[in-house]
Amino acid sequence: MAHDSHEHDAHVYVPEIAIDRDGKEHVVQGWQGDYEGGKLGFWLFMLTEVLMFGAMFMVLTYYFTLHHQDFINASAGLNRVLGGVNTVVLLFSALTMGLGLLKMRSGDVKGAKLMIWATMLLAAVFLGVKAVEWTAEYHHGIFLGLDALQSGNEHSKPFGEILFFGMYFTMTGLHGFHIIIGIGLMLWLLKRINSGKVTPEHNILHFNIALYWDLVHLIWVFVFPYFYMIGAGDIAGGVIHGH
Amino acid sequence: MSKSYFDETHCAFGHPKSTFMQWMLTIDHKRIGIMYAVVMFTFFFVAVAAALTMRFELFAPGQQFIEAHTFNQAFTLHGVVMVFLFIIPGIPAVFGNIVMPLMIGAKDVSFPRLNWFTFWLYIVGCIVALSSLFNFSIADGSLTFNFADTGWTFYAPYSLNTDTNVVSTLVAAFILGMASILTGLNFLVTIHRLRAPGMDFFKMPLFVWGIYATAWIQLLATPVVGITLVLALLEKYFGIGIFDPAKGGDPVLFQHLFWIYSHPAVYLMILPAFGIMSEIIPAFSRREIFGYRTIALSSAAIAGVGYLVWGHHLFTSGMSDLAKIIFSFLTFFVAIPTGIKFYDWIATMYKGKIVLDTPMLWALGTIITFAIGGLSGVTIAMIGADIHLQDTYYTIAHFHYAMLGGVVFLFFAGIHYWFPLVFGKMYSEAKAKFAFYTLFIGFNLLWFPMFIAGYYGMPRRYFDYLPEFQIYHQISFWGAIIFVSGLIYMFYVLIQGIRNGKPTTPNPWNATTLEWHLPSSPPPLENHTKVPYVDFRPYEYHHGQPVVKFDENMKRID
Amino acid sequence: MVTNYKAEKGGYYKVLFGLLALTALTFIQPTMFLPDMTFGLQMLIGTVKAWIILMYYMHLKGETLIGWTVIFAVFIVVFFFAIVIIDVNNFQYADVSHITSPAK
Repeated sequence: MAHDSHEHDAHVYVPEIAIDRDGKEHVVQGWQGDYEGGKLGFWLFMLTEVLMFGAMFMVLTYYFTLHHQDFINASAGLNRVLGGVNTVVLLFSALTMGLGLLKMRSGDVKGAKLMIWATMLLAAVFLGVKAVEWTAEYHHGIFLGLDALQSGNEHSKPFGEILFFGMYFTMTGLHGFHIIIGIGLMLWLLKRINSGKVTPEHNILHFNIALYWDLVHLIWVFVFPYFYMIGAGDIAGGVIHGH
Repeated sequence: MSKSYFDETHCAFGHPKSTFMQWMLTIDHKRIGIMYAVVMFTFFFVAVAAALTMRFELFAPGQQFIEAHTFNQAFTLHGVVMVFLFIIPGIPAVFGNIVMPLMIGAKDVSFPRLNWFTFWLYIVGCIVALSSLFNFSIADGSLTFNFADTGWTFYAPYSLNTDTNVVSTLVAAFILGMASILTGLNFLVTIHRLRAPGMDFFKMPLFVWGIYATAWIQLLATPVVGITLVLALLEKYFGIGIFDPAKGGDPVLFQHLFWIYSHPAVYLMILPAFGIMSEIIPAFSRREIFGYRTIALSSAAIAGVGYLVWGHHLFTSGMSDLAKIIFSFLTFFVAIPTGIKFYDWIATMYKGKIVLDTPMLWALGTIITFAIGGLSGVTIAMIGADIHLQDTYYTIAHFHYAMLGGVVFLFFAGIHYWFPLVFGKMYSEAKAKFAFYTLFIGFNLLWFPMFIAGYYGMPRRYFDYLPEFQIYHQISFWGAIIFVSGLIYMFYVLIQGIRNGKPTTPNPWNATTLEWHLPSSPPPLENHTKVPYVDFRPYEYHHGQPVVKFDENMKRID
Repeated sequence: MVTNYKAEKGGYYKVLFGLLALTALTFIQPTMFLPDMTFGLQMLIGTVKAWIILMYYMHLKGETLIGWTVIFAVFIVVFFFAIVIIDVNNFQYADVSHITSPAK
C-alpha cells in the first residue's frame, strides 16, 4: 500500500516486526494505509446512518399503525411517476458509481473520472425531479407550514395525513440532503484524484464514497415504496388530490 | 533524558513552531486525551456550581436566592453540562484515548486526524451548548438568562413551546452526539485492527473490553437521539407534527426515542468505569483477576441488554401494560452481569496482597457506593414501586449513587492510577487519601438523605418543599459543602503533583498490562519502542509479583 | 487490488437488470396482484433489493466481521420496531386517547 508522500516524514509508516519467544516474526499492523481499517470504519459510520433512518422509519410505522387509512389516502395523492423516475435514476447512478470504482481499480483513471461525473449528473437530475415534485405539492397547498398541514382550521387534513406529509417532507428532505452531501463528496474525490492522492493502488476514498452512494440508494429503496406505493392499490394515477 | 510526548508531536497539518499551536493541532492520542480532560473538568466545575446554587436555594422552604424560573434553568444547566459535556465523552475520551492504544500496543488510534477533528467538534458543541448562557439581560436589578429550562431531557411538548433558547442546546447535543459517535467508531476500528500481534480478544486488558462495549453503544444508540433532536428542531420550526398533540403527534414517542439512546448512555458511562475497576483491583491485590472471561463477556452483555430496557423511564408516562412488563423484566436482567462483575472483583481480592494506595481506595469506595446505586436501581425497576418513586428524590439519589458514586468515583480512581503514567510524576499519597475520605463522607452525607426524603414523597425538580423535608435538605447541604471542599482539595493535590511531584519509574504500581511497559515515563511520542508479541494473559501474578518481563526490545525474558 | 475491469463489469450489469426488474414489479404489484397485501409485499421487494445491493454493489459478500456488524445493527432496529408495534397494539387507553382516536 502506497502512503501519502506529501505528509510529514514522521507519519511515514515503517513496517514493524514483533518477535515471539520462539523467534518467529509477526507483522505489526500500523494505522497508516490500513485499507481494511478504512473500510471497517466507513461501514461503522454507515450503520449510524442506518440507525438514524431506522428511527425515522420507526416513527413512520408507529403512525402508520395508528392511522392506517389516512396514510393510504395520503400516499395515493403522491406523484408516483416522478417518484418512479427518480428510483430508476438512482439505480443507474449506482451502476455508474460502481463502474467508476471498477475502472479506477483496473487502472483506468480517466474512465473512472468520467463515471463520477456521470453519477453527479444523475444525482443532479434526481434533485431536479425532487424540486419539481415539491413545487407541485406546494401549489396544491401541501407543504410544511401551509394550512392543510396545520391543525384547527377549515383546510386541516386529518391527523394521519398531517403526520404522513410531515414525515414525507422530513425523510425525503433528509434523503435529498444526503444526495447533496454525496455530490460534494464526489467533487472532493475528483480533486483528490486530480492531485494524485487517490490512485488505482490507493483507492480507499473512492471505495468508501461508492459505498456511501450505495447506502443513499439503499435508503431510497425503502423510502420510495413506504411513501409512494402503499396507497397505489386504491387510486390509479398520480395526481395530488388537494384542496 | 529521552524525549517524551510533551516535547514533540505530530500535527494534523503543517509544522507549527509555537508550543500552543502544536497542542491545538496535535493528533497524538495522549495529548488529545489530556486536552479532553482539561476541558471536561472545567465544565464539570461549572455544573457543580449550578448544583451548589440549587442546594443553597433548597436550604430552607420558600424562595431564598434565586427565582423559580432560574432554578429550572439551573437544573437544566447542571444536567446538560454534566451529561453531554462531561460524563458522555467522559472516560472514553480521556482514558480511552490516552491508555487504550497503549494497552493494546498500538502507536495511535486508527484514524488520528479524525480523532483531532472529533475533539474540535466536541469543543464546537460545548460552545454552542453554553452560548445561550451569555445571552442574559439585567432588568430591575435582577439577572435573567435565556438558557433552556426544559431539563436535560427536552421532553416534548414543553420544549417545543418554551420561550427560552432550547434550540442552541438541541443543536449542541446533536453536535456532541456526532463527536461521541466518531470517538466510538475510531476506537472500534482501533481495537479490531491495531492490537499487537498475538493479542486476541481474550488477551486484551479488561479496560479495553469496557471501551469496546462502550464504543458499540456510542455508535449504535447515539444516532437515534441525534435524529430525535433533529425531528424536535423541525417540529419547532416547520411544524412537522410528529411530537405535537394538536396535530396528532405523540409526545410519548419523543420519550421513547430519547431514552432509546439515553438509557444505553448510562451503560456507555459505566462500562469503561467498570473497566478501570478491573484494572485497579488485580494490580493492587497483586493477583490475577478472577473470572476474566465472565467480566469481559458481562461487559458485552450489559451493552447488549442495555439497549433493550429504555422503557423503564416511561412507566408513568403512558405505555401499554404489556410493554411495561417486558421492560421491567429486561431491566432486572441487567443486574445479573453487573452482579457477576462485583463477585469477580471481590473474589480477586480474596487471599490477595492488598495494597491500599489511593487508586485502590477509590475502587473500594466505589464498590460500596455503586452497590447502593445499583441495588436501588433494581427497586425502581419494579413497576409498582416505580409509580411511587419515579418522580421523587429517591430516583435522584439512585442516579447519583450510580453515576457520581460509580462513574465519577472510578474516573477519579483512574486519574490517580494513570497519573504517574501520563505525567511521569507522583502526587502526594497522604494528601490524596485525605481527599478521598473527605469526598467519600461528603458524598454519602449529600445523597443518602435523599433516598429517605424521596421515599416519603419529596418530588424532584421542585424549587420549594414542605417544611417536614427541611432536615433532609439541610443534611444534604452540609454534605454538599464537604463534598465540594473535597473536590477542590483533590484537584489541588493533583495539580501540585503535576507541578512538583516526585519523578516516577515507568511502572510504579507493579502492574502487568502493556501501558506499564513503556521505555520511559512519561511515554515517548510513538509509545512502545518495539511492539511486543502478546502470548500472555493481561494480569499474570505469581506470589504477588508480575510474571511477564521484557527486555529493552520488548522481547519476553521471563 | 488491481482488478480486471471487463471481467467484473458483467456482474454489475446483471445486478442492474435484476434491480430494474424488481422495480418494475414494485410498480405493477398494487394493481396487478394481491392488492390487499401491498404494504407487506412492497417491503418484501424492498428487502430483496436491499439485499442484492448490499451483497453485490457494496461487496458485503465474504466480509465476515462487517457482515456481523450489519446484522447486529439491523437486529436492534427490528427490536425497536417490535416493541413499538407491541406497545401500540396493546395500549389500554387507545379508545379514550385524543391521539389514538381523535374526535371525528
